Amino acid sequence: MAGEVTVRVRSMRRAAVVAGAGLLVQLAGAFHWTPLTFIASAMVGLPLVGIGALLFLRAVFGIMKERGVL
Amino acid sequence: MLPTLVIVALVAALAIVALLFFGIAPLSQSRWGRIALLVGIVAAPVLVSGGTLSTGFHQSSRTSFCLSCHEMQRYGASLFADNRAALSAVHYQNRFVDRDATCYSCHADYALFGDAKAKLNGLRHVWVHYFGKVPDAISLYQPYKSANCLHCHEDARRFIEAAPHRPILGALYAGTTGCFGCHTVAHDMKAAGEHKLWQAK
Repeated sequence: MAGEVTVRVRSMRRAAVVAGAGLLVQLAGAFHWTPLTFIASAMVGLPLVGIGALLFLRAVFGIMKERGVL
Repeated sequence: MLPTLVIVALVAALAIVALLFFGIAPLSQSRWGRIALLVGIVAAPVLVSGGTLSTGFHQSSRTSFCLSCHEMQRYGASLFADNRAALSAVHYQNRFVDRDATCYSCHADYALFGDAKAKLNGLRHVWVHYFGKVPDAISLYQPYKSANCLHCHEDARRFIEAAPHRPILGALYAGTTGCFGCHTVAHDMKAAGEHKLWQAK
């Protein structure tokens, strides 16, 4: 059980890193808004945030499933 | 640069994600902790990203954004052409269009997917700018639609009552006659090249 929690914590951390990377890309682009940074922001930053959110939700659902909530 | 508020929101969301990263283990043990994580790692970044994209979309319609590519700078200069027959110059200099969105006012279709189409074309432009070969003579993907002109001029008194328009109004509205049949100069590139420019006082 403890090992399982660690795995979930690790996947949540991964989600936070991915979402943070997405925000970082957008932040870098926000300082110098050009066609290239706009595309980087929309095509790299935004999907990374989305992937981070999905990874986090998957980890949460995993915890809920383990605890029999779902 | 995007507005300061957007940058502050991005920094705040990033700080929250960074803080939560170190607190995931204890927070994930309790229900409220997981809710805090959900808000900090999912809701806040998604909301802030949505806001950034929305603001970015708006900013990408600005004249300065279009002119940030050197290929467009000659067209930017043509907005100041000292030629009362050049449509872009007349519209810009007389403030017939918002000066901050001059390019977008005429070069985005007002149809249902006009904005999306304009942005997709913009993607193609960026691709060509960085990875392709920019043609010597830049041209539109398709003939300019007079419907875009009529979007603003259709019921304008000055347009309707102009003597040359009166006999052809029906044809103009029906689309069988186009604006560019008579108004042949969209951008006066010659005047722009020779620096024959109007100087606002």
